Amino acid sequence: MATRRFFLRGSAIAMAGMGQAPMWLARAAASEGRKRKTLVAIFMRGAADGLNIVAPFGDRRYRDVRPTLALQAPLARDENSNNGPFGPVIDLDGKFGLHAGLRPFKELWDRKQLAIVEATGSPDPSRSHFDAQDYMESGTPGKTGSGWLNRALGDPVGDASPLRAVALSSRVPRTLRGEHEAVALGNVQDFNITDHERLSILRNMYTLTPDATMRRTGKDAFEAMQMLQGMAKDPARNGPGPGPFPQGPGGPSQNNRPSYPMGGQLGRNLQELARLIKSDAGVEAAFAEVDGWDHHQNENTQLPILLNQFSNAIAAFCQDLGDRMADVVIVTMSEFGRTVEENGTGGTDHGHGSLMMVLGGAVQGGKIYGEWPGLEKEQLFEGRDLAVTTDFRVVLSELLRGHLGRNDLSAVFPGFKPGTSLGLLRS
Amino acid sequence: MKRVYSIALAVMVYPHSGHAADPFEQKLSPERQISQALNRLTFGPRPDDIEEVRRSGLSKWMEKQLRPNQIVENPVLEQRLQRLESLSMPVSDVVSKYSPDPNMGMMMTIENPMAAINKLPQNVRIKVINGTAEERTAVLDAMDPELRTKVLAGLPDNVAEYTPKYKDEAVKARKAMQEERSALLRKRNPPLQDLLRPEDMAAVRSGDKDRLMAIIERLDPTKRPDVVAMLPPKSQAFFPEYRREAQMRRTPQLAVSQDLKEARMYRAVYSNRQLEEVLVDYWFNHFNVDATKNVAMTVNLGHVLIGSYERDAIRPRVLGHFKDLLLATARHPAMLYYLDNWESAAPDSFNVGPFAPRRGVLNGVPNSIIPNGLQRLAHGLNENYGREVMELHTLGVKGGYTQADVIAVARCFTGWTVRSPENPEFVFAPFMHDFGEKTLLGHKIAAGGGEQDGLQAIDILAHHPSTAKFISLGLARHFVAEHPPQALVDRMAQTFMKTDGDLRAVMETMFRSPEFFSEGAWDARVKSPLEMAASTIRAMGGELTDAWSTVQRVAEMGQPLYAKIEPTGYPDVAETWLGATAAIARMNFAAAVAAGEVPGVSVDASRWQGLDQASIARSLLGHEASPQTLEALATGLAGKNPSPAVVASLVLGSPDFERR
Repeated sequence: MATRRFFLRGSAIAMAGMGQAPMWLARAAASEGRKRKTLVAIFMRGAADGLNIVAPFGDRRYRDVRPTLALQAPLARDENSNNGPFGPVIDLDGKFGLHAGLRPFKELWDRKQLAIVEATGSPDPSRSHFDAQDYMESGTPGKTGSGWLNRALGDPVGDASPLRAVALSSRVPRTLRGEHEAVALGNVQDFNITDHERLSILRNMYTLTPDATMRRTGKDAFEAMQMLQGMAKDPARNGPGPGPFPQGPGGPSQNNRPSYPMGGQLGRNLQELARLIKSDAGVEAAFAEVDGWDHHQNENTQLPILLNQFSNAIAAFCQDLGDRMADVVIVTMSEFGRTVEENGTGGTDHGHGSLMMVLGGAVQGGKIYGEWPGLEKEQLFEGRDLAVTTDFRVVLSELLRGHLGRNDLSAVFPGFKPGTSLGLLRS
Repeated sequence: MKRVYSIALAVMVYPHSGHAADPFEQKLSPERQISQALNRLTFGPRPDDIEEVRRSGLSKWMEKQLRPNQIVENPVLEQRLQRLESLSMPVSDVVSKYSPDPNMGMMMTIENPMAAINKLPQNVRIKVINGTAEERTAVLDAMDPELRTKVLAGLPDNVAEYTPKYKDEAVKARKAMQEERSALLRKRNPPLQDLLRPEDMAAVRSGDKDRLMAIIERLDPTKRPDVVAMLPPKSQAFFPEYRREAQMRRTPQLAVSQDLKEARMYRAVYSNRQLEEVLVDYWFNHFNVDATKNVAMTVNLGHVLIGSYERDAIRPRVLGHFKDLLLATARHPAMLYYLDNWESAAPDSFNVGPFAPRRGVLNGVPNSIIPNGLQRLAHGLNENYGREVMELHTLGVKGGYTQADVIAVARCFTGWTVRSPENPEFVFAPFMHDFGEKTLLGHKIAAGGGEQDGLQAIDILAHHPSTAKFISLGLARHFVAEHPPQALVDRMAQTFMKTDGDLRAVMETMFRSPEFFSEGAWDARVKSPLEMAASTIRAMGGELTDAWSTVQRVAEMGQPLYAKIEPTGYPDVAETWLGATAAIARMNFAAAVAAGEVPGVSVDASRWQGLDQASIARSLLGHEASPQTLEALATGLAGKNPSPAVVASLVLGSPDFERR
């Protein structure tokens, strides 16, 4: 098998090097990707405030610790479905409520495609964004190294695609850095070198250079570019997928359907990812990120808008992929949570425990997972922050095992024993 | 066959790869030392720079770069900057001239629909929003019909729903208000189809320069800026004369940060004080603020302050004492807003006085005007600046501070705030200050200090040994290698401690070190997009007549200028810049410059007419190209008699040019 794969990819490069990559070859290389299970990790950078994303309105301390920031408890009847991202939370189970900005998630919750794991986080106590992101992305609390998702890729089997690991970002984030190839696709609009002669000479330079960093950069870039070009020229691969949501008579803008354009940059990135998945580009691991969760002040005007974009992007992605969501699991994470008590400026400072969301066709959703540690002073981490009751690696381990079929995770999360599974996936 | 041959060649040329000797102990040849200095102290060598440095003597040239005020500035640069008028204006003028008109323009779309309700007397307002249906109906009955319509238009859905008598009227009033607003907005900011003939729309979408120019020519001159404003940024490049006016009409605050972005490009390309420009770029990133951050009561104020932040806080101090630089950033309104210190207050301080926030969330509506005393808003501490000033600006994350120190620093800085959004200047507000005793990193700060507490915190942080190490490491990483030798960092830190943080002395220690001119430092850094763009134009000896397009390309390569959200700034390591799409964007930018296809950049490759490929490459790089790059050029261009511009486009896209 390795020989065939080597032939296909090697010769595609060689031919491109001579400036005449034939379409059939690019297409062959693409179809080699076949249908794959895909795990999508979405990082919320800046420490998202779990307590106001899925609000524990059933905890009687919630309103006390957040006198001005606490979200309104859900209405008996959810009549407010057109009211945008502000307003009372949407009841999930009588104790927790979705922020109104996450309204597009409600349908996914009802369809049992969305699970929420409360009080997740890292055992490391750092409140530095940058350390905590590094630790979480490495999957090794307190230490940094290659990315957990890169290590989870394992050795390529048979016909691995050059787009096996994709970051929808201008650079490869730590989560995907490491031994295995990962490609960063930022702005794909102009991702092309149209002059074949120039392309072939540049490609030669980057293949020959003794500079290992540049050699790898060039290899990733040229291969990914070629594959995307092949796909772009093949319209059959780009048709819209059947959505799980019925289309209303008024079209997406009038029937409250989630939409990519309302999802901002994340929406554009996930739309591109959906295109790759629908084209059977062989994506196994994908990464996307959203900045701007560091709400030290005026949180209640900023968070709703951000959450609205976030949920539109993700729900539109689920809608776009339709049946293919059976092969896709999305997991969201943030480096830590925010202080339980609101600070002096209508915001929250750096805290500890937060939450993770897991979405997909195979998810045992419609349920809050994890043990709620409570908001009483003595229940808090260092007397101020939400305690962590579920290590983020428990969630990730379960998805790597159940979805990507990685049974041995000793190299992915060295020294970590995940213990009993939460049961996030339908078996 | 050819591949095999070139690999064999590579092995022959690098027979000692894997050699055990420490590359930081291997000295560069005198030729390479000049190239090294130009690559680190400037935004890349121009065609004649090597010769010029050789003539004046390398160490003398470096000495001079360390004293920028003794260097006569390039008149071309001064001429370019003259057009960017916000650069030299006092902050108060920038604010008054470039703040968006709150009554018109884009602001209207987000104007609070509850304005009429918020203006009602409190007892009436409470009945309207929180009263029973009967109370609400009675109050509405008693209102002047005109006012009632306005109130109904702003009534939230769920409230209107429970007011049977006025339910339908509320729906109608809201619809009428929305229509009125969109009509006004459309008049103020007409969409393209209101300005152009239908047959012109396709030409506009095509982005074709000649067709676009023809359409704009035909238009009434007063309409031109409106049309230009609606064009995609790539097409706006063709109309520098209308672009700015267009921006002033719609989003004046963006004109200020646009001035600054363009100035950054002009300075990088043209300034004779290159080291100063490199350092302004470096220190701005170290003390990053993001122009796009929205502060509740100061929509996009970052845009109008960020120019002054660079000009008044950073630029004058990049070769001064670190403590002064730290203090200048700490007191600047751009930083006070960005890391929230402006509203951080002692927990029990009053919400009164000229500094009290006037806007906030009221009845679920953001950005409402808060009547005095109605709602507690800014009423306590915010840890944001307190943490980042230690983690990112001074000690470094491993610098030995605790959560208690974060709170202590935040308390010291309470009351360091901004007078007002209209008059953004530093002011100390005693009623916000926490006058209690603090303990910071083992130092006691006595109770009753006031503004002095913040100065003391600055003093403690600026003189901490961790700061000396952290600042030295950052500079050594930027100027020497991503992983600089510890011995060098230690020597720089010693200089820092001995000289009270004199940054010029620290730079001198670094520039005079053997490590700086060693094989270990050679080509050790991957260029940032800004460095890539500026060095490309400089290498070509090109002219930058309009920086608009280049600024866009730098953003496309992954570095939107002045818009990094996180306070870390852009991580100063190669992997920040080397994604697949970014790598191709870099190669394409190089080719576009060489071919003269970037609007606003003109190049003339005829100076290389008749030279062979290796000589052209040497001239562009400032040193010999690698044998592999030359081999790929020779093979690919064999028998094709390429023009110098074609060779240049390939050299500038080569792995060799990616590094500095």
